Amino acid sequence: MQPIQLFELASKQAEWLSVRQSVVAGNIANANTPGFKAKDVTPFQSVLETTGIRMAATQPGHFTETEMASRVIETKPTEEIGVQESGNTVGLAEELMKEGQVKREFELNAGLVKAFHRMMLMTVRR
Amino acid sequence: MDPLVASMKVAASGLEAQSTRIRIVSENLANARSTGDTPGADPFRRKTVTFSAELDRATNASLVEVSKLGVDETDFHTEYDPGNPAADEKGFVKVPNVNMLVEMADMREANRSYEANLQSIKQSRDLISATIDLLRASQ
Repeated sequence: MQPIQLFELASKQAEWLSVRQSVVAGNIANANTPGFKAKDVTPFQSVLETTGIRMAATQPGHFTETEMASRVIETKPTEEIGVQESGNTVGLAEELMKEGQVKREFELNAGLVKAFHRMMLMTVRR
Repeated sequence: MDPLVASMKVAASGLEAQSTRIRIVSENLANARSTGDTPGADPFRRKTVTFSAELDRATNASLVEVSKLGVDETDFHTEYDPGNPAADEKGFVKVPNVNMLVEMADMREANRSYEANLQSIKQSRDLISATIDLLRASQ
Protein backbone atom coordinates (compact mmCIF):
# COMPACT_ATOMS: atom_id res chain seq x y z
CA MET A 1 0.00 0.00 0.00
CA GLN A 2 1.42 3.37 -0.89
CA PRO A 3 1.96 5.71 2.02
CA ILE A 4 -0.56 8.47 2.33
CA GLN A 5 1.31 11.57 1.29
CA LEU A 6 0.03 13.99 3.89
CA PHE A 7 0.73 11.77 6.86
CA GLU A 8 4.27 11.16 5.72
CA LEU A 9 4.88 14.86 5.18
CA ALA A 10 3.27 15.74 8.50
CA SER A 11 5.35 13.29 10.48
CA LYS A 12 8.47 14.56 8.77
CA GLN A 13 7.61 18.10 9.75
CA ALA A 14 6.79 17.03 13.30
CA GLU A 15 10.20 15.38 13.52
CA TRP A 16 11.88 18.50 12.19
CA LEU A 17 10.00 20.66 14.70
CA SER A 18 10.94 18.45 17.63
CA VAL A 19 14.61 18.49 16.64
CA ARG A 20 14.37 22.26 16.40
CA GLN A 21 12.76 22.41 19.83
CA SER A 22 15.64 20.45 21.35
CA VAL A 23 18.20 22.67 19.63
CA VAL A 24 16.48 25.81 20.92
CA ALA A 25 16.28 24.30 24.41
CA GLY A 26 20.04 23.68 24.20
CA ASN A 27 20.60 27.33 23.27
CA ILE A 28 18.49 28.54 26.19
CA ALA A 29 20.22 26.22 28.66
CA ASN A 30 23.58 27.53 27.46
CA ALA A 31 22.55 31.19 27.45
CA ASN A 32 25.22 31.94 30.08
CA THR A 33 27.94 29.54 28.92
CA PRO A 34 31.13 31.33 27.86
CA GLY A 35 32.08 30.74 24.22
CA PHE A 36 28.87 28.93 23.31
CA LYS A 37 27.66 29.50 19.73
CA ALA A 38 23.90 29.51 19.14
CA LYS A 39 22.65 26.71 16.89
CA ASP A 40 19.65 26.19 14.65
CA VAL A 41 18.31 23.61 12.21
CA THR A 42 18.32 24.16 8.43
CA PRO A 43 14.88 25.29 7.17
CA PHE A 44 12.30 22.58 6.57
CA GLN A 45 12.08 23.54 2.91
CA SER A 46 15.72 22.63 2.29
CA VAL A 47 15.34 19.41 4.31
CA LEU A 48 12.57 18.39 1.92
CA GLU A 49 14.54 19.29 -1.18
CA THR A 50 17.80 17.57 -0.33
CA THR A 51 18.22 14.03 0.82
CA GLY A 52 21.44 13.66 2.74
CA ILE A 53 23.67 10.60 2.71
CA ARG A 54 24.08 8.92 6.04
CA MET A 55 26.45 6.30 7.32
CA ALA A 56 24.91 2.88 7.73
CA ALA A 57 24.83 1.32 11.18
CA THR A 58 25.75 -2.34 10.74
CA GLN A 59 26.52 -3.10 14.36
CA PRO A 60 24.65 -2.26 17.53
CA GLY A 61 27.66 -0.31 18.82
CA HIS A 62 27.57 2.17 15.93
CA PHE A 63 26.38 5.67 16.57
CA THR A 64 23.31 6.50 14.56
CA GLU A 65 21.51 9.76 14.31
CA THR A 66 18.23 10.67 12.74
CA GLU A 67 18.29 12.44 9.41
CA MET A 68 17.16 15.69 11.02
CA ALA A 69 19.79 15.63 13.74
CA SER A 70 22.52 16.03 11.13
CA ARG A 71 20.93 19.29 10.02
CA VAL A 72 22.00 21.29 13.05
CA ILE A 73 24.07 24.31 12.08
CA GLU A 74 25.58 27.27 13.87
CA THR A 75 23.65 30.48 13.37
CA LYS A 76 25.27 33.75 12.48
CA PRO A 77 25.16 36.25 15.33
CA THR A 78 22.35 38.72 14.69
CA GLU A 79 22.88 42.45 14.44
CA GLU A 80 21.28 43.50 17.70
CA ILE A 81 22.59 40.70 19.90
CA GLY A 82 26.03 40.21 18.40
CA VAL A 83 28.72 38.38 20.32
CA GLN A 84 28.77 38.99 24.04
CA GLU A 85 31.96 39.60 25.92
CA SER A 86 32.09 35.97 27.01
CA GLY A 87 31.99 34.82 23.35
CA ASN A 88 28.38 33.67 23.68
CA THR A 89 26.01 34.37 20.77
CA VAL A 90 22.67 33.34 22.31
CA GLY A 91 19.93 35.98 22.46
CA LEU A 92 17.37 34.84 25.01
CA ALA A 93 14.51 36.84 23.50
CA GLU A 94 15.17 35.47 20.05
CA GLU A 95 15.26 31.90 21.32
CA LEU A 96 11.96 32.34 23.15
CA MET A 97 10.48 33.73 19.94
CA LYS A 98 11.70 30.66 18.04
CA GLU A 99 10.07 28.47 20.67
CA GLY A 100 6.76 30.22 20.12
CA GLN A 101 7.12 29.65 16.40
CA VAL A 102 7.84 25.94 16.93
CA LYS A 103 4.78 25.61 19.13
CA ARG A 104 2.49 27.33 16.65
CA GLU A 105 3.70 25.21 13.76
CA PHE A 106 3.50 22.02 15.78
CA GLU A 107 -0.09 22.73 16.78
CA LEU A 108 -1.03 23.52 13.21
CA ASN A 109 0.60 20.27 12.14
CA ALA A 110 -1.22 18.21 14.77
CA GLY A 111 -4.50 19.93 13.90
CA LEU A 112 -4.09 19.15 10.23
CA VAL A 113 -3.33 15.50 10.92
CA LYS A 114 -6.40 15.31 13.13
CA ALA A 115 -8.62 16.89 10.49
CA PHE A 116 -7.29 14.61 7.77
CA HIS A 117 -7.76 11.59 9.97
CA ARG A 118 -11.35 12.60 10.63
CA MET A 119 -11.99 12.92 6.91
CA MET A 120 -10.64 9.45 6.30
CA LEU A 121 -12.80 8.01 9.07
CA MET A 122 -15.81 9.71 7.53
CA THR A 123 -15.35 7.76 4.32
CA VAL A 124 -14.75 4.47 6.09
CA ARG A 125 -17.53 4.55 8.65
CA ARG A 126 -20.88 2.92 7.72
CA MET B 1 15.89 9.29 22.39
CA ASP B 2 13.03 11.37 21.27
CA PRO B 3 14.16 14.97 20.64
CA LEU B 4 11.31 16.36 22.74
CA VAL B 5 12.33 14.27 25.73
CA ALA B 6 15.93 15.27 25.05
CA SER B 7 14.96 18.94 25.09
CA MET B 8 13.37 18.47 28.51
CA LYS B 9 16.61 16.90 29.71
CA VAL B 10 18.61 19.82 28.34
CA ALA B 11 16.31 22.38 29.98
CA ALA B 12 16.54 20.46 33.27
CA SER B 13 20.33 20.69 33.12
CA GLY B 14 19.91 24.44 32.61
CA LEU B 15 17.67 24.67 35.68
CA GLU B 16 20.25 22.84 37.75
CA ALA B 17 23.10 25.06 36.55
CA GLN B 18 21.16 28.26 37.22
CA SER B 19 20.10 27.13 40.67
CA THR B 20 23.73 26.43 41.54
CA ARG B 21 24.46 29.97 40.40
CA ILE B 22 21.71 31.39 42.61
CA ARG B 23 23.11 29.36 45.51
CA ILE B 24 26.56 30.88 45.01
CA VAL B 25 25.07 34.39 44.77
CA SER B 26 23.24 33.91 48.07
CA GLU B 27 26.40 32.57 49.70
CA ASN B 28 28.19 35.73 48.58
CA LEU B 29 25.38 38.00 49.79
CA ALA B 30 25.10 36.22 53.12
CA ASN B 31 28.84 36.56 53.70
CA ALA B 32 29.13 40.13 52.45
CA ARG B 33 30.28 41.25 55.91
CA SER B 34 32.10 38.11 57.12
CA THR B 35 35.44 39.37 58.36
CA GLY B 36 38.20 37.30 59.94
CA ASP B 37 38.50 36.90 63.71
CA THR B 38 42.21 37.42 64.32
CA PRO B 39 44.12 40.68 63.66
CA GLY B 40 44.87 41.09 59.94
CA ALA B 41 43.06 37.86 58.99
CA ASP B 42 41.60 37.44 55.50
CA PRO B 43 37.80 37.77 55.30
CA PHE B 44 35.39 35.75 53.12
CA ARG B 45 36.47 35.66 49.47
CA ARG B 46 33.76 36.06 46.83
CA LYS B 47 32.91 32.81 44.98
CA THR B 48 32.32 32.59 41.25
CA VAL B 49 30.66 29.96 39.08
CA THR B 50 31.53 29.02 35.48
CA PHE B 51 29.37 27.04 33.07
CA SER B 52 30.41 24.88 30.15
CA ALA B 53 28.50 23.15 27.36
CA GLU B 54 28.67 19.38 27.38
CA LEU B 55 27.61 17.21 24.47
CA ASP B 56 25.29 14.42 25.56
CA ARG B 57 26.27 11.42 23.44
CA ALA B 58 22.96 9.60 23.79
CA THR B 59 20.84 12.47 22.51
CA ASN B 60 23.38 14.58 20.58
CA ALA B 61 22.17 17.63 22.48
CA SER B 62 24.28 20.19 24.30
CA LEU B 63 23.63 20.05 28.03
CA VAL B 64 25.01 22.68 30.38
CA GLU B 65 26.96 21.93 33.51
CA VAL B 66 28.81 23.82 36.20
CA SER B 67 32.42 23.43 35.15
CA LYS B 68 34.16 25.24 37.93
CA LEU B 69 33.43 26.88 41.27
CA GLY B 70 36.20 29.41 41.64
CA VAL B 71 37.04 32.37 43.83
CA ASP B 72 37.31 36.03 42.91
CA GLU B 73 40.99 36.98 43.28
CA THR B 74 40.46 40.75 43.41
CA ASP B 75 41.79 42.66 46.44
CA PHE B 76 39.77 43.03 49.60
CA HIS B 77 38.42 46.43 50.62
CA THR B 78 39.61 47.91 53.88
CA GLU B 79 37.65 49.86 56.44
CA TYR B 80 38.80 51.79 59.48
CA ASP B 81 37.31 50.06 62.54
CA PRO B 82 39.81 49.77 65.41
CA GLY B 83 37.33 48.01 67.69
CA ASN B 84 36.94 45.04 65.36
CA PRO B 85 38.75 41.83 66.41
CA ALA B 86 40.12 41.53 62.86
CA ALA B 87 41.62 45.06 62.86
CA ASP B 88 45.38 45.25 62.20
CA GLU B 89 47.76 47.47 64.24
CA LYS B 90 46.66 50.59 62.28
CA GLY B 91 43.00 49.86 62.94
CA PHE B 92 42.05 48.75 59.40
CA VAL B 93 39.80 45.73 58.82
CA LYS B 94 39.74 43.73 55.59
CA VAL B 95 36.15 43.26 54.38
CA PRO B 96 35.07 40.75 51.68
CA ASN B 97 35.40 41.68 47.99
CA VAL B 98 31.65 41.27 47.51
CA ASN B 99 29.88 44.00 45.55
CA MET B 100 26.15 44.03 46.28
CA LEU B 101 25.28 45.56 42.90
CA VAL B 102 27.19 42.89 41.00
CA GLU B 103 25.55 40.14 43.04
CA MET B 104 22.09 41.60 42.48
CA ALA B 105 22.67 41.83 38.72
CA ASP B 106 23.94 38.28 38.71
CA MET B 107 20.89 37.10 40.61
CA ARG B 108 18.52 38.84 38.21
CA GLU B 109 20.25 37.26 35.22
CA ALA B 110 20.15 33.82 36.80
CA ASN B 111 16.47 34.37 37.49
CA ARG B 112 15.73 35.25 33.86
CA SER B 113 17.64 32.25 32.58
CA TYR B 114 15.85 29.99 35.03
CA GLU B 115 12.48 31.24 33.80
CA ALA B 116 13.51 30.72 30.18
CA ASN B 117 14.48 27.11 30.90
CA LEU B 118 11.21 26.57 32.72
CA GLN B 119 9.41 27.87 29.63
CA SER B 120 11.30 25.30 27.51
CA ILE B 121 10.12 22.46 29.71
CA LYS B 122 6.52 23.67 29.61
CA GLN B 123 6.65 23.96 25.85
CA SER B 124 8.14 20.48 25.34
CA ARG B 125 5.39 19.08 27.51
CA ASP B 126 2.74 20.90 25.47
CA LEU B 127 4.17 19.54 22.21
CA ILE B 128 4.17 15.99 23.56
CA SER B 129 0.59 16.31 24.72
CA ALA B 130 -0.44 17.77 21.35
CA THR B 131 0.89 14.58 19.76
CA ILE B 132 -0.85 12.34 22.28
CA ASP B 133 -4.09 14.22 21.67
CA LEU B 134 -4.06 12.85 18.11
CA LEU B 135 -4.82 9.45 19.54
CA ARG B 136 -7.85 10.58 21.51
CA ALA B 137 -11.15 9.62 20.00
CA SER B 138 -12.48 12.65 18.17
CA GLN B 139 -16.19 13.23 18.01
